[in-house]
Amino acid sequence: MTTMQPGVAIVSGAAQGLGRVFSERLTAKGFTVLPFDKDPAVTDLEHGMVADVSRREDVERVLVAATRLGRLEAVINNAGTWRRTPVQSSWQQAIDDWDFIMDTNLLGVLLLSRAAVPHLIENGGGHIVNLSTYYVLPARSSGTNPPETDLYNASKWALNGFTDAWAKTLYKHGIKVNGMCMGAVDTAMLRNFFPNGAIPPEFAHTLIKPHDLAQQLLDIMASGRTGENFGAWMGERVELGPQPPIHQRITGPAHHGR
Amino acid sequence: MTNQSPPTTELAGKTAIVTGAAVGLGNAYARALAHQGVKLALCDLRPEIYDLADVLPTECHAWQGDVSDPDHVRAVVDGSREVLGHLDILINNAGVWGSSSARDDLDKSEADYAKIVGTNLKGEYLFGRAVIPILIEQGTGGDIVNIATDHMVTCGTPWTVCPNLETCPWGTQPRPTGGGDAMDIYDAAKWGLNGLLYGWAKALAPHGIRVNQLCMGATDSHMLRGFHNFDPSPEEEASWMRAEDASRVLIELLQEGAMGRNAQNINFCVGRPVALEPPLEQIYVRPDQVRVTPQS
Repeated sequence: MTTMQPGVAIVSGAAQGLGRVFSERLTAKGFTVLPFDKDPAVTDLEHGMVADVSRREDVERVLVAATRLGRLEAVINNAGTWRRTPVQSSWQQAIDDWDFIMDTNLLGVLLLSRAAVPHLIENGGGHIVNLSTYYVLPARSSGTNPPETDLYNASKWALNGFTDAWAKTLYKHGIKVNGMCMGAVDTAMLRNFFPNGAIPPEFAHTLIKPHDLAQQLLDIMASGRTGENFGAWMGERVELGPQPPIHQRITGPAHHGR
Repeated sequence: MTNQSPPTTELAGKTAIVTGAAVGLGNAYARALAHQGVKLALCDLRPEIYDLADVLPTECHAWQGDVSDPDHVRAVVDGSREVLGHLDILINNAGVWGSSSARDDLDKSEADYAKIVGTNLKGEYLFGRAVIPILIEQGTGGDIVNIATDHMVTCGTPWTVCPNLETCPWGTQPRPTGGGDAMDIYDAAKWGLNGLLYGWAKALAPHGIRVNQLCMGATDSHMLRGFHNFDPSPEEEASWMRAEDASRVLIELLQEGAMGRNAQNINFCVGRPVALEPPLEQIYVRPDQVRVTPQS
């Protein structure tokens, strides 16, 4: 384990849920956190900024503000949108769905990371962490994703390309790039999917706790590992696990031992 | 391309849309389908698409335009259905390659995203979403084939290992993911196709529609020649797979029909024989979720 010298961490989509917990936990760890979100609720948090990750001008504003706070060290690409996108939707709906999902989940990750990389290089290193889903890892993901989420899944699969290529390109600059591929997390957003916010008890006890993922995030950054997708599985302990061989770092092993 | 079998297979009389068909792999796919007697609707950015439509030995219609433009996609799909009367097959082939890097500035990155993700992921999404409701409404099944890349393919995980394959360039160490430093947006777009593959395969299996993907390795094509500035070394050229061989795999895949494989990434690894191999074990979906119900 290397010792972290906490600098500035940018967390996108930080108004609620996982992004908020990440921001709080990074702050507690000594980072100066710049949380931002489209949702003005983010301004509850210190340095919180209202900004849309899919808008270049907003991303540039975030970078100006973040670099004023100190030495940029980490970018947590947490902002994400989700919606059902059935294949038989109307043509106009299909076009709207593309923008709704991809502008945030894919273009947003690209814009924020691209804007941050020159600062991370100048500072001699840092971290980029891309929030993904366990659907992109085999074995224990089998069959759980519904057929109406083609675009959401495409957006998360696509992050594999970024995590993989950036880890390779930026390694020589001391920048570590990883993905977090998690199952369902106990958040307000998830509760909203259920009538009256009531999660069925048999499901509730398997949900991943945001604090466990925040710990996983810190562990990833402390580990020195790069170019990996780290899984977090419902009903199981959240941990980094041993480092897989290089050809399994993005895809995971074909079969997880139980 | 004149030495192929005459149109005697079950594909004869079917119809197919092939995107990006003017040059390279799309051109080879279109020719192979035409020689099977498949009636074609072709599109490409390049005006040469009209020349190809003139020379193929089958009913063939062409549109020129950009697959990332929803209006173009709509025009091709609606126009195809009108002139061909029925749609059976979509070959989602149009793709571009462009160098991009984590160190690029925002101007270049926005332009790269629009071009590379727009063509390689949005274009395939739009064509799929335009064709799918038509295939479902027809009620006679169909095939969607997306064209992806071997950058998503590793040795052993999640797919094949080739023991003692002397021609394999990865013989001494397993092949990792990715095309390289300068392909982040290209790779992201192609990885993204997996979301479409699995989502569509699940949603469409009850309608008798299959969805598969070809993960192309280095194949002699306009794109690969462009990557080598149209001046590849003889050694490089000799290592490439041939588009005609890849087309044969496509034809064999389509000939399987509704009882054939579904939701599969079909690998083209350099050094491995170019052939349609048996389907692989499903690890991202449960087999029962993508079991196709043949239509009448």
